[in-house]
This record gives sequence, C-alpha cells and structure tokens, in this order.
Amino acid sequence: MNPTTTPIESAVLPEVARLEQSASAATNVLAIAGVVIREMYRRKDFYVLFVLTALITLVMGSVTFFNQDNIVRYLKEICLFLIWGASLVITITTAARQIPAEREQRTLFPLLAKPVTRSQFVIGKFFGCWFASGLSLVLFYVFFGVVAGAREHEWPVLNYFQAMTLHWFLLGIVCALTVLGSIVFAAPSSTSTITLIVSVGILLIGRHLNKVALRLEEPGQTLLYAVYFAIPHLELFDVRDLIVHNWSLIPWGVWAGALSYGAAYSAIFLALACLLFRRKAIN
Amino acid sequence: MRAYLLSLALLAVVAVSLATALEPWFQNWAGNRTKSDNLLQVALGDSRRLFARHFFTKADVYFHNGYYPTIYDSRAGFDKAHVGEAVHRQGGEEGAGDFLGKPKDWIDRFGRHFYPAQHTHLGDSECGHSCCLHAKQHNGHDENCDHKDHKEGHDHEAEASGKPGLEREILPWFRLSAELDPQRVETYVIASYWLRTKLKRVDEAETFLREGLRANPGDYELLFELGRIFYESRKDIARARNVFELALRNWREREGAKPEPNILLGVQILNQLALLEREQQNYPRAIEHYMLLKEVSPHKELVQAWIDYLKTNGPPIAAPPLPY
Repeated sequence: MNPTTTPIESAVLPEVARLEQSASAATNVLAIAGVVIREMYRRKDFYVLFVLTALITLVMGSVTFFNQDNIVRYLKEICLFLIWGASLVITITTAARQIPAEREQRTLFPLLAKPVTRSQFVIGKFFGCWFASGLSLVLFYVFFGVVAGAREHEWPVLNYFQAMTLHWFLLGIVCALTVLGSIVFAAPSSTSTITLIVSVGILLIGRHLNKVALRLEEPGQTLLYAVYFAIPHLELFDVRDLIVHNWSLIPWGVWAGALSYGAAYSAIFLALACLLFRRKAIN
Repeated sequence: MRAYLLSLALLAVVAVSLATALEPWFQNWAGNRTKSDNLLQVALGDSRRLFARHFFTKADVYFHNGYYPTIYDSRAGFDKAHVGEAVHRQGGEEGAGDFLGKPKDWIDRFGRHFYPAQHTHLGDSECGHSCCLHAKQHNGHDENCDHKDHKEGHDHEAEASGKPGLEREILPWFRLSAELDPQRVETYVIASYWLRTKLKRVDEAETFLREGLRANPGDYELLFELGRIFYESRKDIARARNVFELALRNWREREGAKPEPNILLGVQILNQLALLEREQQNYPRAIEHYMLLKEVSPHKELVQAWIDYLKTNGPPIAAPPLPY
C-alpha cells in the first residue's frame, strides 16, 4: 500500500512545488496587505482628511462671483489640490509606520517565524498601503466627480478615470519609496518628512531640472541631467491642469506608458527595500 | 527670596513704563494697521499686494486654459497679461507664446501629454483638441477625428448651450485680486471689460467699476471704462459724454506733469469722445477732440484725415479707422 511514484509524476513534482510556493507566497502577501487595509479603515486619518476636503470644497463652492453660479474651474482646482495633499499624507504616513510599528510591537518575530519570508512581508506591506490609498482615492474622486458634475453638468468619466489611475500609480511610487525609507531611516517621523519633501520637490521642479541643467557649466550640467534622468518623474502623473481646464483625453498608449513607467519605478524601490530588509538585523 | 521678588517687581515696573511710552507712539505710527476695517489688510499688510498680483496672473493662466510659463520658462510674449490686451486693443500676442519650444529630451516630449502644452484661449477652440487647434490655424480638420464637425475657433459650451461665457472662469481670481489690493486699477478695468462684452453682465460690470472708483476716487482709467459702459452697452450718450470728459480732465491733471505720461489711455479717451460727437453729428466738437488727439497721437496723418473729412463734410475717407 505504500505509495509509489511513477517516473512521469516525479518529473512534474518540482513544477507543482513551484506553483504551490507561488500560491503560498501570494496568499501571504495578500494576507499581510489585508491587515494593512483593515488598519487603514479603522484609523481616523482618512475620515478626517476626507471630511476636511469635502467641507472646504463645499464652502468654496457656496461662494458666488458676480452672480455667475456656474463658475467651476476654481472649485475643481481647489478640490483636486486638497485631494492630492490628503492622498499624499495618507499614503506616506500609512507606509512609513508599517515596518517600524511591527518591530516596536514585537509582532514582526512571530510573523516571520511563520512561513513568511522577509520579501513577502515587505511586498505585502507595500500592496496593503497601495490598495488602501487606491480605495481612498476612489472615494475622493467620486466626491470630486459629483461636485464638478453638479456644477458643470458634464461627466467626463474617462478623463477622471485616467487622472485617478495616474494618481494611483504615483502613489505606488511614493509608497514604495516610503517603505524603502522606513527601512533606512530610524523613525517613522523622519521617513514621512523626508519622503514628503522629496515627493513634493519632484512634483514642483522635476519637470524643470533639464532647463536648469542646460544653463549650467560642466560638470554641473551633466550631473544635474543625470539626476533628471534618474529621478522618478512624479509630475508625469499630475494631470490636474488637464482636468481643471477640460482638455481632451490623453492618448491611451501614452497613458499606458506612464503607468508602466510608474510600475517600473515602484518595482525598483520595492526590490531595493526587500534587499535592504533581508540584510537588516531586526532585533 | 526677597531679592527674587524685588527683581520681579522691577521687571513689572519696567514693562509698564515701556508700555506707557510705546502705546502713544504705536497709535500715531504710519504703519499701524489696527485702524483698518479690512481684515485682509490687518492680517497681511503690504504682502497682500503680492498675493493680489499672483491671483491676477492666475486669471491670465485660466484665460490660457492652463498653458502658462513658469519661472523656469522663457516669458517672451507673456510679459503682460494677455487677458488685458483685448481691453486696450493692443493685440500684442501675435506670434508670441510658444514658450515650450522643441522638446529637449524624451521625458520632456513624453511629459507634454500630461499638462496643457498648446496655446489656446478661453472661448476660442476651447476643447484644446489638437484637431481643432489645427483647424483654428485654418489648416482644416483631420478626417479621422471625432471633432471634425466642429467649426474653426469654436467654443464647445457656447455651441452646446447656445450662450457664451467660458470667460466667467477667470472672474473669481479678479474678485480675489481686487479684495487683496483695491488700489490695483487694472483688475477692475479688465474684469469689467469681460463682464460687459463676453458675459453680457453690464450691471455687474458697472457695480465692480464703481467699487473700484470708491477705492481709487477719480481714476481716469476706471472712468473711461465706465464711460464705455454708458456709451457702448447702455447707449446713454449724455452720461457717457460727461464721464469721458471727467476722465479726460483727470487724465490731464494726473498725467500732464509726469515725464512719461500714459499716452495710450489719453489717446483712447480723446478718440472715444471724438467718435461719440461724430456719431451725434456734433462735428465742431468732434474736430476739437481730433485736434487735441493729433497733438498726442503717434498716427497724426490718420487723425488729420478725419479732421479734413469732418471739415469738408465730404465723402467717406479712404483712411482706415484709428487703431485705438
């Protein structure tokens, strides 16, 4: 009655084992991500920022200028600005505290004692933060769409979809960068501050670094141009002006290209985070 | 303990003495803002002028549908707000405004899909669609484009609703700018122009101008714009004449002594007065205004042609209308 293994079955086994391993890794990653998502909707950060955004937008929307009740672009700009600020704060603060909190509360050790690798742990945390920020973005953009549509009587759903997905992929880069920062820096506060400054800095001047570089002497020019090519161009994902001023859709190929660009940078930062975390002493 | 209490008492006495000395000085100080009724003035002081300027520029950004140079771009063609050029009929924008130039690298080329990268204005080819912009330059529509049925230089919303008005989007920034710096006359004039012409809100335009006149009593630029409301929109010739003449008088008083007077506005007031009298067939008065105009105008031959025409009462002259 002893089970016997046929030659064909033994040849298939490594493949099956690999598949099982991948499935188990995916399960681990999703389980960790699920915990992060549950944590986000239990915390008050999102609700406070959402209520603030809604309140400021509605107050600004109640103002009438020269008896013209259908002025909308200023309102769209303010609302999008608040959404961007809130989403950056939510993503960075959520991502920055994940790994340090697990270490401080000593929950990291039992987690890693189970068959969860360090890389799966980092990737799970990343996906958790990214999905959580995506969920909050959906709510923010639905609110934005309702406010803009109520004033404008137009529903450019595809434009909003493009803006939201680009925004979400930007948050993916920021999230990966923050997870990486949380492994490098000592405290969540320093990680949050540095990541926020870097992200806002790139958003503000990333697009113009090449122009500044061209005005410099060598070797400053080459150095700055190298920085320009190396940094993730977060401003590519900021299409607020197109939405505010009702410009037409971005070509879908270009949109997909931007998402791939974002995914590539997220993967690079995440790979670095995994690498550093595997070498880091956690006790 | 006793020394400690005594030193505290000494400090209190010094503080009270200083307060009694400084309080009267502060009340008489020119920079004291506590007497102002304007909360913004109290809170921001002179920095409100900077914010006012920023919001005025913001109106110009909106006028260009977001296409606007940053501090890193060349500002050639954007030195003056385009939103105000129509008011003064300057039209200095021809051929200006491609501050982006050719893409410098692939990121630059790729990035131009994600922000407004074409020069458009509110109300003309508003959709910003490349096909419509192409058509606007009289090059026709792309046959495969969804917008191929659109007219050249069209305005989607006006077409859809049958009423004009995308220019309304610039109004909040003018309102804010005027709130922050009521002494900035340009804000009232330009906002009033758009309200009166494109938005057909003559009452609101007049109210806003009067608000500007309360903040800047007797300002000739505001009076000139108010005169245009009476003349062009309300067709109230008598009041228009009075307001134009007051504007001319104030212009002479304020600009006459200056080494570099604002000639353009003086010329515009005189031309408007001459036009008004010409339409009322009050030719001697029109000639008087043209004579004054000839003294300051750079287009003396054209003005003389009009004077000759009015003196002889001959056939319509071949000379083009004055460019003011």
